[in-house]
Amino acid sequence: MSYILGIDVGGTFTDFVAYNEQSREVTVWKDFSTPGDPSDGILNGLKQFPRRNEISGIRLGTTIATNAILERNGANVAFVTTQGFRDVPFIQRGNRRFHFNSRWVKPEPLLQRANSFEVIERVDCEGNIILPLDMDSLRRVADRIAERGDIKAISVCLLFSYINPQNEITARDYLASRFPDLPISISYDVLPKWKEYERASTTIADAYVKPIVTDQLGELESRIAEAVGAARVVVTKSNGGQTTVAGACEAPVQMTLSGPTGGVVAAQFIGSVTGEKNFVTIDMGGTSTDCSLIVNGTASLTTDFEVEWGIPIQVPMLDVRTIGAGGGSIAWIDKGGLLRVGPQSARSRPGPICYGRGGTEPTVTDANLVLGRINPDNFLGGTVALDADGARAGVKRLAERLSLSVDDAALAVIKIVNNNMVGAVRSVLIEKGESPDKFSLMFFGGAGPVHACDLLKDLSMSRAIIPVHPGQFSAFGFTATDARVDRQRTVQMTSNRMDHGRATQHLKELEADCLAQLHAQGFAGDISVERRVELRYHGQNYELSLPLRFTIFNDATAKELWAGFDKAHEERFGFNIPGEFIEIVNFNVTAVKRLSKPQVPKLARTSFAPKPISMRSVGYDEGRHDTPVYRREELMAGDTIQGPAVIEEAVSLVVLHPDQELLVDDYGNLHVSERQAR
Amino acid sequence: MQGRHAKNMVQMSILDGRLVQIAKEMGITLMMTSYSTIFNEGLDFTCGLADAKGNLIGTGDFQPSMIGGLPLVIQTITQEIPVETLEEGDVIVHNDPYRGGMHTPEHTFIQPVFVDKTFVGYSVAIGHVAEVGGMVPGAFAGEATEIFHEGLRVPPVKIRRRGKDVEDIWRLMLANYRTPRQNFGDFRAMISAVQLGEQRMRALVTEFGLDRFTQLTDSLLDYSEARMRAELKEFPNGCYSFEDYMEDDGIEKRRYKIAVDVFVQDDEIVVDFRRSDKQAKGPINGVLSVALSASYNAILHLTDPSIPKNSGCFRPIRVVAPPGLVVNANYPAPEVGGNTETHIRICYTVIGALAAAVPERAFATDGGTHSNFLFGGYNARTEEYVVCYDLSTPGWGGRSHADGNSACNAINGNSRLNPVEVFETRFPWRIDAHEFVSDTGGPGEYRGGLALRKKMTCLAEELTLSFMSDRQELAPWGLFKGQAGGCGSLHIKRSGSQDWKDFHQDSGKVSASKFSNAKVYQGDQVIVVAPGGGGYGDSRKRDPEAIRKDLAAGWITETGAATYR
Repeated sequence: MSYILGIDVGGTFTDFVAYNEQSREVTVWKDFSTPGDPSDGILNGLKQFPRRNEISGIRLGTTIATNAILERNGANVAFVTTQGFRDVPFIQRGNRRFHFNSRWVKPEPLLQRANSFEVIERVDCEGNIILPLDMDSLRRVADRIAERGDIKAISVCLLFSYINPQNEITARDYLASRFPDLPISISYDVLPKWKEYERASTTIADAYVKPIVTDQLGELESRIAEAVGAARVVVTKSNGGQTTVAGACEAPVQMTLSGPTGGVVAAQFIGSVTGEKNFVTIDMGGTSTDCSLIVNGTASLTTDFEVEWGIPIQVPMLDVRTIGAGGGSIAWIDKGGLLRVGPQSARSRPGPICYGRGGTEPTVTDANLVLGRINPDNFLGGTVALDADGARAGVKRLAERLSLSVDDAALAVIKIVNNNMVGAVRSVLIEKGESPDKFSLMFFGGAGPVHACDLLKDLSMSRAIIPVHPGQFSAFGFTATDARVDRQRTVQMTSNRMDHGRATQHLKELEADCLAQLHAQGFAGDISVERRVELRYHGQNYELSLPLRFTIFNDATAKELWAGFDKAHEERFGFNIPGEFIEIVNFNVTAVKRLSKPQVPKLARTSFAPKPISMRSVGYDEGRHDTPVYRREELMAGDTIQGPAVIEEAVSLVVLHPDQELLVDDYGNLHVSERQAR
Repeated sequence: MQGRHAKNMVQMSILDGRLVQIAKEMGITLMMTSYSTIFNEGLDFTCGLADAKGNLIGTGDFQPSMIGGLPLVIQTITQEIPVETLEEGDVIVHNDPYRGGMHTPEHTFIQPVFVDKTFVGYSVAIGHVAEVGGMVPGAFAGEATEIFHEGLRVPPVKIRRRGKDVEDIWRLMLANYRTPRQNFGDFRAMISAVQLGEQRMRALVTEFGLDRFTQLTDSLLDYSEARMRAELKEFPNGCYSFEDYMEDDGIEKRRYKIAVDVFVQDDEIVVDFRRSDKQAKGPINGVLSVALSASYNAILHLTDPSIPKNSGCFRPIRVVAPPGLVVNANYPAPEVGGNTETHIRICYTVIGALAAAVPERAFATDGGTHSNFLFGGYNARTEEYVVCYDLSTPGWGGRSHADGNSACNAINGNSRLNPVEVFETRFPWRIDAHEFVSDTGGPGEYRGGLALRKKMTCLAEELTLSFMSDRQELAPWGLFKGQAGGCGSLHIKRSGSQDWKDFHQDSGKVSASKFSNAKVYQGDQVIVVAPGGGGYGDSRKRDPEAIRKDLAAGWITETGAATYR
């Protein structure tokens, strides 16, 4: 027997999924996260798995890189750049985060200014070296790095290196020979794209997290080996593909959005099983909610990510937006007497009042408990007893200050947190130019399903899906990852001045890069490669990404591309300008090695209507209803349930409104829609 | 009764969130489809929604200078185009500073919203269009003496009627710009934004029902007003005065005084500019909406930033700015710099006055200019005529709890800087350095942000350069014994020469900070310095650890550190 484990470390819980490679059966469980060292939480959870000596592979999301940046405990980094530009990481883009907020402090880069160094060199915007790298200036910089004594990693970002990396590579080679023990990140490797601040910031971040990611992942790997024996440990990158621990340590900036990708991969996977192709995914956990878009079965990528406002990390990542709204979001009353929810969260410690771990501020989870949505005796499958009286007392304090009934106050808390999520979903849709009509909502995370039916109404959308294992969905997704490499490069050209040879060459190099990375991780054979190009009308500033159906640029293929862009622009923005010069900005290549997936078993069908296990009083907008409660494990394929109803499972539950109905599909996914007139 | 009020509050809070969200969505659309870099990189625009009476009811985090000006723009448009003449699908365009606009580049697009044939409000987008005709590319004519030099004036006219383009208006407008293609793209983007706002607002009103919607937006306006009054109540009663100057107007070498007397009484405030100088001959004049929005901007910066930004929060604020003054010029005075440069000076004059009332909320002035640097000419490498509006970011002033941010927009802007790699790819310049200037943050217990220097070499055969700035002579002031920040400047070194000169010395311009149409040739180098911010509090009280860190980082030198001893 052998098992593949998916593990997801969240702010509140660490989730586990094990699938048996032979029987393809899936087992799920969860445990509290351990703030400080997340590997404790992982090891605690592993100990609960009885077949832990039969694990062949472990697939993880990791928050090491993210937390190192958020908590500012990465390495002391040196930054080497073109003379005249050492302040680029400090100047940033000059804009501000808030208006009318004179107290706002601009974020510091992950770098001290004293460690920002300049070398004499210059490449122009066409890639000509107008000033070769002056080795004396580089030697002087190296001397100063050595003098400082506390530098733990080096980052190099020279102007226009994305067109011609020669000076950057020369600098790296010299620095590597001077400092064989220090990791070096160069911008051409990390992010060969234009805009020097964004490229520098990403390169600095890579160097900044390299030592800590290398140490902690290495340690985790050996602790896992101790606990479960030899198992192949792989890590999920921000693009949703997996990589070896060695690969992760080589380019750790690729890990900054590792955690939230699992749910997106899982949603894509469930879509491929059920045949649905367009989803908005809503992953609501204890601390935050992640939102993403899957269009035509493919999750969208972004390069606009910022771990912290103003600190961009622009490697290709799954486009997951995080807002500070979760089950643990704290409800409070502002100076003007207005009720607000979040972004402060009670997290896992102390947690909501009802966890009984010392929390005193009412949270969204407490409000759900007060309304009878959550069952105090079946939280985490009954392993954690909830303090319903405490939750009620907390919400009551809020209610008194608002002069509302306790139920109304609890409903208000839920309405406000839902409203925050509505905003996030709408933003994601509008940025991609998508209309909500063609999308289903997919809810997961412990708290997601609880809010599914509310949000379906608030968003005026027609279908919501609560997949199997919603509480461990991200961990489930990790078991379903492929090996994947995304490489992007800025190759600025315009349709009237195309260099077909150069374009073809860049495309080939990117593809070779991707394949080499997969080969290095031991993957070969059937690898699929997708090539895309980002285009815009000359003068615009945001690009449309189009797939390339050819590998060689010539007059005919280019013409096909320009026509395709005119068409895409019309579709996306409602107008086009045929004959206008078109600008190529970036080339993107993705290489994927598909790996085996867990099976989602089909449920049996019965002719019996499902039976509620109990009744309880649940609060809705219009008041309380006696509500039948069903156990999700007992539902069969084809079952339908009319609202009001609650469907409980070990780690989550669905609250079906009186005017909604629910259908169980062949795989046990729950589909919610407005009740059909009969 | 109280319970109903509280439920109302909950619904109102939800509605406020939805209104802000709609404005944000409009902004995203605008950003992604526009052509001007000042839109899509610079983010120089604002979107919002207004109720049927023209009250601003929701907006997102956009350009601070525009938000305060929106209510007046909406009011004046509706005066000229009465509600009865509006039809579904109409879009009105407008930019006239003498009809509530802020300056000629700022174009407002507004679409009425109807639900079941009943008029319920407006969807509004306002944005800075890079090229608007007039005597120089990009409108910032430092030597303009009439508004006609500053580009095409557009009174409120329907650019779309019942969902269709009014072709004649489009043809007339586009014939008056140097970059018609880009303007076409920008106007299209603004129209898609207001159309989106219209759809969303219609859905929202339908969802809530018009009566409930009106009731809730009225409560929302009242709520903002109440929050603002509660804030103002914490300001001690009294009259607070302050004066500052614009260095010149580009036409004559003389200073223009901006003087303010701010009266605080209980929960209301009157901002009186009557002691200010008469209007200028050159383009530094503010118009009424500038006086209003600069005053609002100052007060919003001194109060709680979480107050919802709508017309309600401006109700307790009165601005006295009689026509004919430099803060509210009479037609047809030039005014293009009033909105970017003089706005900042007006705003900090109010903050300087109120510093005596609320010292812990106040802060020293920022560098006080956007260093607007505009050029046009032929780029041989890309074989095209290019126009560019580039700006720079000064240091912020020190605050009662923190140093001023370095390289951050002046108080009325929120534009992003052009990346060097994008700039050189598009425009015929090579940038030789972009760096901070040590010792230019005004010393204080809390230091001002640093001045920012950009050195660049002209690669084109010939470019035409215009500049609109200030704070080259009168340094950005500190507060409470905090010292002044470093001044800004613009210098040129002609190819083959060793001398750096300003444009008064080099090209005989009256003002080195405000001029049009200077010539720059291949190999000439220029240095633009955006000023630093003033310091807050006595520099001798500065935390020695902060001084040590500043020295280690190089923000101050050993010479600069002496100021702190």
